[in-house]
Amino acid sequence: MRRRARGSGLLASVAALSLAACATASAPAPGPAPAAGSPPPRPAAYQSEDFIVTFAQPGDTPKALAERYLGGADKGWMIEDYTGLRAFAPGQEVVIPRRPWNPAGVTPGGYQIVPILTYHNLGEQAKGRLVLAAASFREQMRYLKTNGYRVVSLAEFIEFSRLNRQLPQRAVVLTFDDGYRAFKDLAYPVLKELGFTATLFIYTDWVGAGRGALSWADLRELAAAGMDIQGHSKTHADLRRAQGETEAQYARRMQAELEQPQELFNRNLGRRSQILAYPYGRWEEGLLPKVKEYGYIAAFSVRRQGNASFMRPLAGHRSQIYSEMTLDDFVKNLNVFQEENLR
Amino acid sequence: MMAAGRGWLAAAALGLALGGCASLTSTASTGPGEPGAGAFPIARDPLAARHRQQAEALERDGQLRRAAEEWKIALAIAPGDARVRESLRALQARIDQAVAERLDEGRKALARGVHVEARRKFLAALALDPSNRAAFDALQSDTREVEFITHTVRAGDTLTALAQRYYGDRSRGEVIWETNQLPPNPRLAAGTTLKIPEIPGVPFVHPEARRPAPAMAAIPTPDVPRPGPTPGPAAPAAPSTKEEFTPEVNPLLAEAREALERSDFPDAIATVDKFLSGKPGDREGLTVKKQALYGQAKSQLDARRYNESIQSLNQLARLQPDYEDAPSLLRQARTRIIEQHYTQGVRFYREEKLKEAIAEWRVVLEMDPSNANARRNIDQAEKLLRGLEQRMKK
Repeated sequence: MRRRARGSGLLASVAALSLAACATASAPAPGPAPAAGSPPPRPAAYQSEDFIVTFAQPGDTPKALAERYLGGADKGWMIEDYTGLRAFAPGQEVVIPRRPWNPAGVTPGGYQIVPILTYHNLGEQAKGRLVLAAASFREQMRYLKTNGYRVVSLAEFIEFSRLNRQLPQRAVVLTFDDGYRAFKDLAYPVLKELGFTATLFIYTDWVGAGRGALSWADLRELAAAGMDIQGHSKTHADLRRAQGETEAQYARRMQAELEQPQELFNRNLGRRSQILAYPYGRWEEGLLPKVKEYGYIAAFSVRRQGNASFMRPLAGHRSQIYSEMTLDDFVKNLNVFQEENLR
Repeated sequence: MMAAGRGWLAAAALGLALGGCASLTSTASTGPGEPGAGAFPIARDPLAARHRQQAEALERDGQLRRAAEEWKIALAIAPGDARVRESLRALQARIDQAVAERLDEGRKALARGVHVEARRKFLAALALDPSNRAAFDALQSDTREVEFITHTVRAGDTLTALAQRYYGDRSRGEVIWETNQLPPNPRLAAGTTLKIPEIPGVPFVHPEARRPAPAMAAIPTPDVPRPGPTPGPAAPAAPSTKEEFTPEVNPLLAEAREALERSDFPDAIATVDKFLSGKPGDREGLTVKKQALYGQAKSQLDARRYNESIQSLNQLARLQPDYEDAPSLLRQARTRIIEQHYTQGVRFYREEKLKEAIAEWRVVLEMDPSNANARRNIDQAEKLLRGLEQRMKK
């Protein structure tokens, strides 16, 4: 088209340039291209590479607009987060960002932190600190859903921590340690119902070991259903160097704790584990090179705090949820922003 | 920008071109330059002007990144507006300059070893340019943050009470515990000092106000997240209940304990053995194993399975010879088993099964060499046996 316009001198060349800008702006938009013969008039929009400006039609929601303009309802959070609104009045102007606008999650008022919650076992009844009552779990997950938290995968969080992905402002990650059968029986159905995903940190000696343990077949099934499986050592021993342990003994022990699980992951799941949860949450500086050596790109303790995008990749934090926690106690682990004047 | 220097002819061409462009996104048949009038309550120009004005206000207020976004939005609405393009270009140059300065200051602070300042500079650079790789990498790899205050322990201090006081959240006692590398279930000695670290996302109740509150933007800034629900400032510490600062429990150990509670001793022993094979000599593991062996020995004793009970008790004795009343249980079991063999011997004797009777009493003697009755019975039975044999020969 632009070629044909040539020949009218200056005028045409200016027009061609402007059109080029327009064309690049609207080309990738999956949204309102003119469709011949579709009677209901669709809303119009101004578009550039960075933003789409439109006005809400009756019934428009962030999800609906995301589906129309961003190629998927799952990007509704971009519109909610950018506008700070969860619903729109008809005729209201809506600015839609087409690209990540804040991958680090840092603003002049502070920075985003992502809570990573850690669960262990579940039971019909709570028992001890680490067997959470199924009803409490359901209540907590519903709380996340109804309060605008967005459960993202640990992999998405890792991309965030490498400045490669923006996360929703109220992003939360769910993790389950050890590999209890109760995950499949009691937690997974709740997650599935709410559309949440989770990471299981399994220690390989436990897989298929006790009555309460998941098997590799279970884990394959859960992985196929969208759950993520990662490593938690071989024996669940403290990975810090023990007193009196020689360098050679320690190296051998770490080889067993960090590499043997990798072989089992490969054999049973067809891939290695890239993320490690330190057993008992314990780590020390001397351990980090070994963790790296065996192919883990991120690792997490159980220090009760959230994670900024710029966290140290092998020193991430997770917050353990105990059975005796009330819903209020649970909510205290969901802070998603650190206020700090950065102007 | 391009059109700006080329007089009215170019401007006219631009208008036409834009008209064509806008119609791309509109299905309503409206005049050129006005997309879907039904959908847009505001015409293009006033809409763009609104964002231009907002951009200018933000820029005046020093909110440079938000201002840049507003310029870009204005440009999305009116892509040919050369003044907007120029404003955006100038602002971007200003931002780049400011980011470079923050990075430089951050690196210098780092070189002086002042990490807290370096961290703030790098964060400020990211606040201006949230995809700045250099600032991000410096924060991630070179800056060890963690501001903390020092608390001197007073009599009666507990970790949960301190956590309540500094964070308004009792459960953050774990963080104090971890930061100070305390042993499980620590006793805090008056006069010792503890580091109380800042926890991002948790309001830090500092005795001295440490930072100015973040300035609230005059214009609504959509990308300042709503902070999550936060606990109020230090409420009076709730009455201290049990303090539990122990790391998470190994699941095999937990399963062994559970089996123990069910009195399923074989299961408990098998499970704890599995645990101990990974952690030989683990104290908690050994405790569970001893409990399980003891329980098993007792139940075997009750079921009159004395041999099995003795086996269990012997295993227990190898771990701890003086465990509870295990030595007395072992004596009981042995006594009972001796009685069993002795009575069985008497039974055989009465049935004139002398050899079998002797065998039973020999077992008794093996277990209890000082058992005079058994010795006497054996003598008696052997005498009889010899008499019988001689009679047979005759």
